[in-house]
Amino acid sequence: MKLHADDLEDLALGSVFLATGGGGDPYIPLLLTKEVLKRTGPVDLLQPEDVPDDAFLAAIGNVGAPTVSLELLPSDDEALIALEAFEKQMGRPLDAVISFEIGGGNSLIPIMAAASRGIPVVDGDGMGRALPEAQMMTYAIRGIPSTPALACDYAKNVTLFTTKGTDVYERHIRALAMSSGGMITTVEHGMFGSTLRGALIPGTVSFALKLGTFLRERRGQAPALLAPLQDLFADSIYGECRLVHTGKVVDKSTRIVGGFDVGNTVIEAFDQATAPVEIDIKNEYLIARRGDQVLASVPDLIVIVDYETSEPINAERLRYGQRVAVFAIGCPAFYRTDAALEVVSPRNFGFDIDYVPLEALPN
Amino acid sequence: MRIGIDVGGTHTDAVIMDGNTVVTSTKVLTSADVMEGVANALDTVLSDSGLPKEQIQSVMIGTTQFTNAIVERRQLAKTGVFRLCLPSGRGLPPMVDWPEDIADAVGRHAYTLHGGYLYDGWPVADLDMDEIDRAITDAKAKGLKNFAISSAFSPMNAEPEDLVAERLRAAIPDAHITCSQSFGRLGLMERENAAILNATLLQFADTVVSAFLSALRQRNLNCPVFISQNDGTLMNADFVRAFPALTFASGPTNSLRGAMLLTGLEEAIVVDIGGTTSDIGVLQAGFPRESNSVIKVGGVRTNFRMPDIQAIGLGGGSLVSEDGETLGPQSVGHRLTSEGLVFGGNTLTATDIVVASGHEKIGDANAVSHLSEHVVETARQKMLNILDRGIDMMKPGAVQMPVILVGGGSVLVTGDLKAASNVLRPEHAGVANAIGAAIAQVGGESERIVSYQAIPREDAIAELTREAELRASESGAQKDSLRVVDIEETEVPYMGQETMRVRVKVIGDLAFEAAGAAS
Repeated sequence: MKLHADDLEDLALGSVFLATGGGGDPYIPLLLTKEVLKRTGPVDLLQPEDVPDDAFLAAIGNVGAPTVSLELLPSDDEALIALEAFEKQMGRPLDAVISFEIGGGNSLIPIMAAASRGIPVVDGDGMGRALPEAQMMTYAIRGIPSTPALACDYAKNVTLFTTKGTDVYERHIRALAMSSGGMITTVEHGMFGSTLRGALIPGTVSFALKLGTFLRERRGQAPALLAPLQDLFADSIYGECRLVHTGKVVDKSTRIVGGFDVGNTVIEAFDQATAPVEIDIKNEYLIARRGDQVLASVPDLIVIVDYETSEPINAERLRYGQRVAVFAIGCPAFYRTDAALEVVSPRNFGFDIDYVPLEALPN
Repeated sequence: MRIGIDVGGTHTDAVIMDGNTVVTSTKVLTSADVMEGVANALDTVLSDSGLPKEQIQSVMIGTTQFTNAIVERRQLAKTGVFRLCLPSGRGLPPMVDWPEDIADAVGRHAYTLHGGYLYDGWPVADLDMDEIDRAITDAKAKGLKNFAISSAFSPMNAEPEDLVAERLRAAIPDAHITCSQSFGRLGLMERENAAILNATLLQFADTVVSAFLSALRQRNLNCPVFISQNDGTLMNADFVRAFPALTFASGPTNSLRGAMLLTGLEEAIVVDIGGTTSDIGVLQAGFPRESNSVIKVGGVRTNFRMPDIQAIGLGGGSLVSEDGETLGPQSVGHRLTSEGLVFGGNTLTATDIVVASGHEKIGDANAVSHLSEHVVETARQKMLNILDRGIDMMKPGAVQMPVILVGGGSVLVTGDLKAASNVLRPEHAGVANAIGAAIAQVGGESERIVSYQAIPREDAIAELTREAELRASESGAQKDSLRVVDIEETEVPYMGQETMRVRVKVIGDLAFEAAGAAS
């Protein structure tokens, strides 16, 4: 399968849905990647099972504060510069690249990098959604070292990281992002095909594309979309899909704490008999509750969409007065393993609750 | 006495107001030559009122001409765009995502140069004077006269934009320049787009303002003239020559403000029902609630502040299915008066249902006597349900609110609206836009990045308020009527605790003597 410039719009739309409120607005990465693909032609999308055991791969994406890139625009050559620096450091060329996270703009950066370098991109990613920190990636959870890693900033300054662990790496790349205008592109988690296959969420690029096409073609009120959406998710690695609430945003407050957007939103029901739903935010929508009842929690996906169009709304665009619907979707099985829940359960985000899979919660 | 004029796409309305009372009003068709309609409307209200010209203290105009010029790609001057952002943003030149036709109309003269700042005040790159001068030489050789200038983080540091503007003026003395800093708010591409749309309208703005002024002078109206902007405040005529883009979406704002005056309600839902759509807006503290999403004007993404309007597909001309179960969004629109059944046409419309139900006497009621009672009642209830749902979604909370109906289609509301605490149909609702223009006030704004650790919050806000008040009085506001309507505090990420971008907005009544001096 090949990814064409014309596919990117749908892919971006699907990726915002899977970003569960985070991941940043992919609008600018989309523009940039489209321009690159118009020049280079389509990119090969490599299925995980077709990746040779000895193929050399790395994960690529942007790190930083998406709001800053509203002013400090990314360039079309940052990904390629980071990629080539990584190859030079490792002393061998890359056979393919893979995404950090399918949610938001980072679904597109690997495609731009692959197109510029003339190599394929793997159909999969390291999160199956968007999550705020590097140690939450499947690659890190499977114990693949994050470094050596190479970062490139807006001025083409290139920085090499060799750190003792992913948690330290996460701190260091954040610090570099902050002193580089707020956003950097990094290439990390060098690995072989044999290692990658057990350490990725498979099929998410093609699924995001399919989901985006569905949302564009079926654009309309959220309740009407529920049944076909359930079919779409039932046939994927995600499984369960529920419409847990519809209503109006009556409160939304977030503050920047330690480089993250932290806060919550309250959505009052259209029908006055139903109690409002409160959603906790740390870049992503993490926990949805009605009163004391948890409706869904991280790592399951909580997605807020425009009620009328079912277009997903990310957290920085969520505003008082918006009329919305809230979907909850099961996460891939990988994130329900003990090893994954050690880093992505509600407690890792500071909430005093245990993770209960969506299917076990009352509907 | 004030005259309010609203130049819309279809109608031009005019009113004469004595304080908050409508003295006289008129509605004429907007002519192909817009000024002809304005002249007709003016002459009608002046002669109907019989007032001596000296009693008119000011004229306020709301106009869609600038929005329409952008939407229809007319009257747009070729514009050179200078953006200072390199080495960032390579591959994303100005106008990269514009529709082809408007990019062609404005020309594709973009110069991307080194410069701009990061969020923390560090330069993206040093300005390259040779590079800037080469770009200016090229623009001059192309004969460009209109320019938009943008720079990364210019709302926090506008020096690069100012420097390029200065050099452009030195090289091209008759240049028309808009800097993106004038449109505030973060988002380089959206702010730059706003500046380009403004710059490309500058000659047309000059023509329009001059035509308005001469139409008034010909009628011996020598009072100050103001044009309304999208936040419900006024700009004097000279200001509009520099910032025509600030008039975008002033129509809905004026309609909401007019509805407020006609009812005295500062917290209400306003439903403007036309031929094809019902536009639902919200009054909060007497002003329209603003939309927070990216606003497209003529297909171009911008960062303008616009009223939050929900348009639903129900109007007087909406098509009704045979069983009465489905209404709109298709509509016969302005052809209602020839295609609707009561007007002798062949199409069943929402207006026909209202006549058949006996709630209104419009056209020939015999033309709808064949409709079954069941179909009429089904369709009538359906209309109310559609409006109810739309209103309910716009309400800021679960409590009922008063609903003000304006616009010709308000006859469609034939019963109670569940979402409304009460429904008001004020007199003169048909000219709410012109009334909104006539009562518009004068505003002033001030914005700055402040560290609350260096300057206590109260002191910072007090100082910004003084600055905003000064700007408002300079624009013609009466000092003792000024009040703070908005304080916006946005935490600036990564810049240390309590570093905020603070914006204070004040608003006041027009002081006629002061305004006379300012215009």
